[in-house]
Amino acid sequence: MIELQRVTKVFNKGNSNEFVAVDDISLTIDPADISVLKGPSGAGKTTVLSVIGAMTKPTEGRVFIDGREITSLPERFLTGIRRKTFGFIFQQFNLIKGITALENVMIPSYPSGEKHSSLKKRAMDLLQILSLSGKAMSKIEWLSGGEAQRVAIARALINNPEIIIADEPTAHLDTKLSEEFIGIMAALNKEGKGVVIASHDPLIYGAKVVDTVVEIRDGRIVDKEERL
Amino acid sequence: MAWIEKQRNILDFALSSLVRRWGKNLALVMVYTVIVFVLASILFMTHSIKREASLILRGSPEIVVQRILAGRHDLTPGRYIEKLAKIPGVREVKGRLWGYYYEPSTGANYTMIVTDEHRENVGTIAIGAGVARSSDVREGDMIPFRSSDGSYVSFEVTGVLTPESELVASDVIEVSERDFRSLFAMPEGYFTDLTLKVRNRKEVVVVADKIRRLLPDTRPILRDEILRTYDAIFDWRSGLLIVVFTGAILAFSIFSWDKATSLSFEEKKEMGVLKAVGWETSEVIAMKSWEGIVVSLTSFLLGVILAYMHVFFGSSILFMPVLKGWSVLYPHFKLVPYVDPYQLAALFFLTVVPYTAATIIPSWRAAIIDPDSVMRL
Amino acid sequence: MIMHPAVISLFVGSVLVCLMVLYSARYGATILTRWDLRSGSELQLTLERKTYLISTIMSYVFVFQLFSLFLFIFTADKLSTLFTGAMCAAGTLNVNNFGYPTMVLKVINFILGGMWLVLNHADNRAFDYPLIKKKYLLLMAIAPFVIAETIVQGAYFLNLKAHVITSCCGSLFSTEGEGIQAGLAGFPVIPMKILFYGAMGLTCLAGLYFYIKGRATGVFFSLMSIVTFGVSVAALISFISVYFYELPTHHCPFCILQGEYHYAGYPLYLALLCGAVGGTGVGTLFPFRKIESLKDAIPLIQKRLTLMTLLSYLLFTAVTTGAIIFTDFRLDGY
Ligand SMILES: Nc1ncnc2c1ncn2[C@@H]1O[C@H](COP(=O)(O)OP(=O)(O)OP(=O)(O)O)[C@@H](O)[C@H]1O
Ligand SMILES: [Mg+2]
Repeated sequence: MIELQRVTKVFNKGNSNEFVAVDDISLTIDPADISVLKGPSGAGKTTVLSVIGAMTKPTEGRVFIDGREITSLPERFLTGIRRKTFGFIFQQFNLIKGITALENVMIPSYPSGEKHSSLKKRAMDLLQILSLSGKAMSKIEWLSGGEAQRVAIARALINNPEIIIADEPTAHLDTKLSEEFIGIMAALNKEGKGVVIASHDPLIYGAKVVDTVVEIRDGRIVDKEERL
Repeated sequence: MAWIEKQRNILDFALSSLVRRWGKNLALVMVYTVIVFVLASILFMTHSIKREASLILRGSPEIVVQRILAGRHDLTPGRYIEKLAKIPGVREVKGRLWGYYYEPSTGANYTMIVTDEHRENVGTIAIGAGVARSSDVREGDMIPFRSSDGSYVSFEVTGVLTPESELVASDVIEVSERDFRSLFAMPEGYFTDLTLKVRNRKEVVVVADKIRRLLPDTRPILRDEILRTYDAIFDWRSGLLIVVFTGAILAFSIFSWDKATSLSFEEKKEMGVLKAVGWETSEVIAMKSWEGIVVSLTSFLLGVILAYMHVFFGSSILFMPVLKGWSVLYPHFKLVPYVDPYQLAALFFLTVVPYTAATIIPSWRAAIIDPDSVMRL
Repeated sequence: MIMHPAVISLFVGSVLVCLMVLYSARYGATILTRWDLRSGSELQLTLERKTYLISTIMSYVFVFQLFSLFLFIFTADKLSTLFTGAMCAAGTLNVNNFGYPTMVLKVINFILGGMWLVLNHADNRAFDYPLIKKKYLLLMAIAPFVIAETIVQGAYFLNLKAHVITSCCGSLFSTEGEGIQAGLAGFPVIPMKILFYGAMGLTCLAGLYFYIKGRATGVFFSLMSIVTFGVSVAALISFISVYFYELPTHHCPFCILQGEYHYAGYPLYLALLCGAVGGTGVGTLFPFRKIESLKDAIPLIQKRLTLMTLLSYLLFTAVTTGAIIFTDFRLDGY
């Protein structure tokens, strides 16, 4: 369970360009659900997502993961928790160019101290599941958009997280690939992983498999819809 | 051991990241290697010259006595030998005959010397390897010498000396006592100087004191003193060069600082991705440190190996003139390979410490990038 | 000043280290006054980030200190040919009044650096930075020592004049001489042996007990490990050295570092230094065992440090005792 209590995020606080990106949001995310944050550009979806994913410390308010308050933790503990709890898929995928798909998938687990060989095996298995085993040794820049996306999903899964966080995952994809993406997320959700997606793509927030849709505007929650 | 596995994985990534940006890193390694190369060459060279010089001196007599006339070195009368032999503690006193001979055709200055082995071999000479090279003679050839009365005398070369060190013996010509005296018109009963062997090393200073009192017109020169002076001169020379090169080291540090600071957009993004997917600041710093260690060790090894070849196989062609620069006789001058761990330690300190110091803050700067920064690229 | 390459590198290195420590201390001061974990302010974020930099710097400084200590002694050894009467580092260090203080400062700074890293390591195991102020207070205390080392070492090198007449180790560490060194050399062998093996034995027993049972003998072990460090150095001068040199009158603690004696001194001194760092580390952590967030971490770290000290000291004892037993040389007649 992830709980945001009265979270506010202010950028450039105290400066003339001070900007309140998130304004007093309280929110609970059920790790069994597929939740979607929707809203127009600049609404603060990405910011909320990074607060949920323990990437950004809120300026005010508190965040709980499974009942543990994490806002005051030092970075090294926060990172540990983040590593175990969340897998991230970024808007631009942000894969590292110049190295293979396989290495890209393995990177998040390097600091865990897992044996290289066993880590490699797990990464190969993941690529296999995402039907990418043929591309494991390909450099990232040679992959198609859909393949790159699946590599990004594999990377998000390598640490076996409880929750997948995705920011505008379908922004650069056509309809077919977007549907494929939501299909993969649904499958993962069935296996017990939570999914949180920020998107203004109707294909995503309109999808049948989505359990909760939270609408954000100007840093505030304006609507919350729970589908049963 | 999870810790070791972790470091191995991080090192793995560091290597792949170095290779990916090979252009930039190659430039860095090259500059680094040149710096190590220059400093290592200086150190290797001075150390081995020093070592060779002291090897030779070690075999020389403990005390040399020279007669001084009006503040200048003068011929020493043979009767001094008996006087000195009577000093308690003195084991042996010998008269030495030696001098310089200028050869106008080659422009070289040879050292003519009468040794025990060659004292009686009238009409023949043995020459050092440098002499053989510069005047292009072999065993069995005759070499003419101009004696002090203007006439020419020829000697047969019966041997080329191959001593353990070329540095000192390469310009030597060994002649017999009779030939030496006639060539330079040196009067019988006089010597260039006298050598003393002392029974106990610890008594050298005491004996020298007695000599000064017994023969006030002489000057005793102690071997240990010469050794010390040699050491000091060579250390001083190499030290001076290194001070000159601290400028280069400084420039290099600034260069590496700059390289480490000016991360490309791609590199910054990469750090951000690492942080975002769950690397911690200290792990990114570790990655950067591994990069630094790999770069340092590679350049250090390369530089040292190149310097080794330069000094011991390539006759230090690049800067022999600076360090030695005292004779035209040594173009083929080859040093005996000699490197001790101490030189390497000093070298390591001179190069790796400034590099590390210069890159520590930029690495940290790169590592503290916010993980959420990649969400807004 | 003698323009020896190693002299220059030691000098440059120590100036760099001094600057880095000063830089760290500057932020240490800010941390001491402005640190507030609950605040999400920019300053606090900056300070938290700086702690990463300072940890990194201090780890490097620690490694540097170790190397510079050995390079310093090695250099003194090499330079001994420049001074009348000097045969090894003992004489060179004695050329002026700054030689031995430099060496002692280097040892102190190494141990202090180790202490800081132990504290830092423990602090990083807790989620609320419980030792942050203590850590930076210690850093502020270390800084003057590092500065002192740079200055004293500089003074030492600047006042090194060739041809100065000094004493060799034979007279400095002789049974007839005066001063601490000679006093140690002349210390009767049997009591010194008892003292050495007694201290080692006690330290190791206390350490072992602490390692297995936790608590109880820990403080005693820590104190003893420091005492044993001193006693071991004394023992080395008094009787162990003699077996390495196979000469009843040679008590020099430096010649043993030379190639002639297979560089035996390096592992020996390294073992002693590791032992001392481990022991002081254990002691440093005792006051913080009650801190809630460190309750589990500290005993574990102390255990590891204890193990390190035990292994180091046992290695030292094994090697020296081995040398005593297996050389043909016998001290009995002297
Ligand atoms: N580091 C920053 N400094 C200042 N302002 C920022 C910063 N990051 C984000 N903002 C501002 O915060 C607001 C919310 O940004 P956010 O990225 O969360 O929006 P979003 O809902 O994800 O938009 P989009 O759909 O375009 O991705 C934007 O107006 C943005 O300009
Ligand atoms: Mg966004």
